[in-house]
Amino acid sequence: MLSAKAGAIALAALGAPLFLSAQGADLTPPIASYEISCRLDTEKKIVEGTELLTWTNRTSKPAETLRFHLYLNAFRNNRSTLWKEARGEGRTGPMTESWGSLEILRMTLEDNTDLLPTLSFLSPDDGNSDDRTVAEVRLPRPVLPGQTIRVAVDFRSRLPRVSRRTGYKGDFYLVAQWFPKVGVLEETGWNCHQFHASSEFFADFGNYDVSIDVPVRFRGKVGATGAQIEERPSGGGDRLTYRFRQRSVHDFAWTAQPEYLVVHDHFHEAGLHDVDITLLLQPEHAGQADRHLRAARAALSGYGRVLGPYPYDTLTIVDPPWGARAAGGMEYPTFFTAGTYLSAPASVHSPEGVTIHEFGHQYFYGLLASNEFEEPYLDEGFNTYMTGRVLANSYGPNHPVLSIFGLRFPLGIDQHYPVDANRRFFGVATRDIHATWSWRYRDPQVYGPLVYSHTALALATLERLVGTNVMDRALRLYADRWRFRHPHLQDFLAAVHDTTGRDWGWYFERTFFSSGTVDYAVEEATSVPAKPPKGLFEKDGLLTEGPPAELGKARGWESVVTVVRRGETALPVEILLRFAGGKTFRTLWDGEARWTRFTVSRGPKLVEAIVDPDEKILLDADRFNNGRRVDGDPRAAARWTSRAVYWVQNLIDFLTVAW
Amino acid sequence: MSPRHSFRCFARGLGLSLSKPYLAVSLWLIQLLLASVLILPISNALHDELDHSVAGSRMVANPDWGWWETIQRQHPDLLGKFPDLASGLLTAEGVKSSQLGELRGIGATAVALAMLAVALHAFALGGIFGTLREPQASLVSFGREGMRRFPAFLAFTFAALAASLAAYRWVYLETGSALKNRVQELDTEGRALTITGLRVLALLLVLGAIKLIADSVRATWVARPDLPPISRFFTGVGGSLSRPLRLFGVLLWYVILTALLYVVWLIADPSAGGEARLALVPLILIQQIFVFLRLLVKVGYYAGVSEALSRDPSPEYSYVPASAAPTSEPPAEVGSVPLE
Repeated sequence: MLSAKAGAIALAALGAPLFLSAQGADLTPPIASYEISCRLDTEKKIVEGTELLTWTNRTSKPAETLRFHLYLNAFRNNRSTLWKEARGEGRTGPMTESWGSLEILRMTLEDNTDLLPTLSFLSPDDGNSDDRTVAEVRLPRPVLPGQTIRVAVDFRSRLPRVSRRTGYKGDFYLVAQWFPKVGVLEETGWNCHQFHASSEFFADFGNYDVSIDVPVRFRGKVGATGAQIEERPSGGGDRLTYRFRQRSVHDFAWTAQPEYLVVHDHFHEAGLHDVDITLLLQPEHAGQADRHLRAARAALSGYGRVLGPYPYDTLTIVDPPWGARAAGGMEYPTFFTAGTYLSAPASVHSPEGVTIHEFGHQYFYGLLASNEFEEPYLDEGFNTYMTGRVLANSYGPNHPVLSIFGLRFPLGIDQHYPVDANRRFFGVATRDIHATWSWRYRDPQVYGPLVYSHTALALATLERLVGTNVMDRALRLYADRWRFRHPHLQDFLAAVHDTTGRDWGWYFERTFFSSGTVDYAVEEATSVPAKPPKGLFEKDGLLTEGPPAELGKARGWESVVTVVRRGETALPVEILLRFAGGKTFRTLWDGEARWTRFTVSRGPKLVEAIVDPDEKILLDADRFNNGRRVDGDPRAAARWTSRAVYWVQNLIDFLTVAW
Repeated sequence: MSPRHSFRCFARGLGLSLSKPYLAVSLWLIQLLLASVLILPISNALHDELDHSVAGSRMVANPDWGWWETIQRQHPDLLGKFPDLASGLLTAEGVKSSQLGELRGIGATAVALAMLAVALHAFALGGIFGTLREPQASLVSFGREGMRRFPAFLAFTFAALAASLAAYRWVYLETGSALKNRVQELDTEGRALTITGLRVLALLLVLGAIKLIADSVRATWVARPDLPPISRFFTGVGGSLSRPLRLFGVLLWYVILTALLYVVWLIADPSAGGEARLALVPLILIQQIFVFLRLLVKVGYYAGVSEALSRDPSPEYSYVPASAAPTSEPPAEVGSVPLE
């Protein structure tokens, strides 16, 4: 362990001014900057360190306290809020009983005022007094608006065996949420949530300068947020210290594993920022290096073209080892974990999908630093929408796989973004509303489908309603306005409004704030030959039997189409009637009523009626009732019946093979 | 015991199967009749959903993942959780009996049909083994022999089924649970896959052994009517234990040839391309010809097992009655086999 005092002196000597000059101009005025010096004890699985927090009160009110996230305490015991919400389940199986913790050993102000005696633990979200993931210290003097203070903290982080997001497995370390991190002070007070099963991110931007001391066997195998600026021997030659710096980010994570295969790449594209890519890959996945890098380049280009250039110089991609997949698929500034399988077929687009998605968080979470606790769809959902777009543009449709004994085989069935990738939403569509706080969803099963999939489908539907170019302009406006800030859903609405010149509040009201489903169907589509008129007709002012000559001959077809709204949510939809001879009739229905009917007399024969023919309303729960043909086509049913019989015959044979 | 010997047994069995094609025909009929129970509900449901749907024309050639997901969600009465149950069989967690209660409609019928298939399998095996020993046999003798052995064969079949399910649970599922944490601690996914592969291999070997013992008992049951039932049973078990490699060889050749047929089917893929490759009737014909070929191989396997048990009998476990001189030549009634 570093001497706390020596560490503090060294950090104070380095000082913020030197740090900033070395880094040039900040991308945004810093609020919470950290200088951390830490040491990894691989025997005890402990990281001990000293941090110097430089914090500025950018609100209009004085701050009398400081609140800190102590997230590793979520792994302290099974009474934490994380354990309770997760019901003991990790991301890839039951959480291991390998405990983690984050202890604050010392906390002083610049004038050596000891803050530790005032430290107390809070549970602002659920009142769980056993949860130790949020701590508060009382300041001797309020920090006035615009004033900056420095706080020195000695801490000890005990890493858990990876079962959710962070920890170790063997000699693999994914050290995230590992240091005392100050919350976000808003005009209404501290916004500092506990560590929840579904959300963890909300922090202010700042500059990070982190020195990591590791055993010498990790030489060249340490990756972290930002750029590595130094590697020097320490501890008498059996240890090494790596130093990383990054400006204008709001978190810092790092990783180390002696077995990493380190692959470097460089991204360059006209109009975008050059980026050095470092891929830390498991040796057994060496054959998938190009797939990771291609996906990263596709993401840098795809996201950058729509949302503006990725502004940082580095990007580090981590491939967690076998048994530590629970650390995969996590995002941190300029650094993320992906995850792949030995047998991942190229057609499945994994690891490509996870690489693109986690990179996307550099925007939706990183640059657009929304509050994941309170509006989780703003990062996960918006990012899922963009992931689908980048994947579809770069790779085309993908294929689902058949999984047998852990082996995965592509089936060759086209699966289209974004609908097929987000079908899980439809199964839970009515269970909860979309826009609620991350830990307040009815159950964990609805969180993912609503936050990720529903948002993606709602945004993709909006894109189809306003047009891709307009959607891109709205996204860009939103990204430009809120880069390095904390946006809310209303801010995106404002961007859409300002781009389109129309109010789209009704759309978000019906999608994000409603649990109703969308389902339009063509319930009736008939077309029969028109019958000749019969009965009494006026002729020369008299009623006579039989029609006048001009009506006497029946012509054309009588067609009736009934379109119904089966879902609770109404959206405007187009309706297309296609007639024999190529004639069509297209109209827009506001979709408010439960049904609407179209009757065509003595027209050409109706071939088919389709509601939403351009497939704009991707939230439609059953697209297969959206169209109806007048004349049935039995070919598909007949062929699939024959296939079904054949499969049943084969299945029967397999059933009787073993006995 | 060389692979050549087991291949000879299998080849002779295949020759027998070809010389008595009505055995494969009878199996084909049984399987077709069983499948036909599901034809009408499946066909009606498909026509109802697809004929007037604009999605129907897109699905003539290729399946539509979205349609399948939507059907399961919008019509849970059609299958219940049958797809979950079927896919669950292949997962490490396996399937729990309580999941049977979540089946509906066609899904529930399919499971009931599976039980009927097992019973009819017992009948068919009685017919096959009995008929194989008759020089002048026909479909009539198949039916007669099947019914004659039905009670005993039903017992053997259900016993083998129970043993197979037990093997699935104890050799595959329970080892998976027991090793789960250790496997997670392995250094590489490759090693974890090796462990999984070994578990699968162990399961296949045990299933193969169960099958061979069951088939050996069946063959002996038919061949040794002179013995009391208990003796017949144990003679059958002993027969399989005395010639394990030869029997495994026959089973292996059967598996290889069947797998080869499926590979040919997958490569040829006659059902691909909508109407472009094959119209409906030729497609159905091709499908049924494939099923029939596969059943010819299957009958060949059973005949091969009989061959493996009758050739070079050991003194301890004589397959044929003592009065019938054991010989390396095929028995008189099967002397017309063109092979060897």
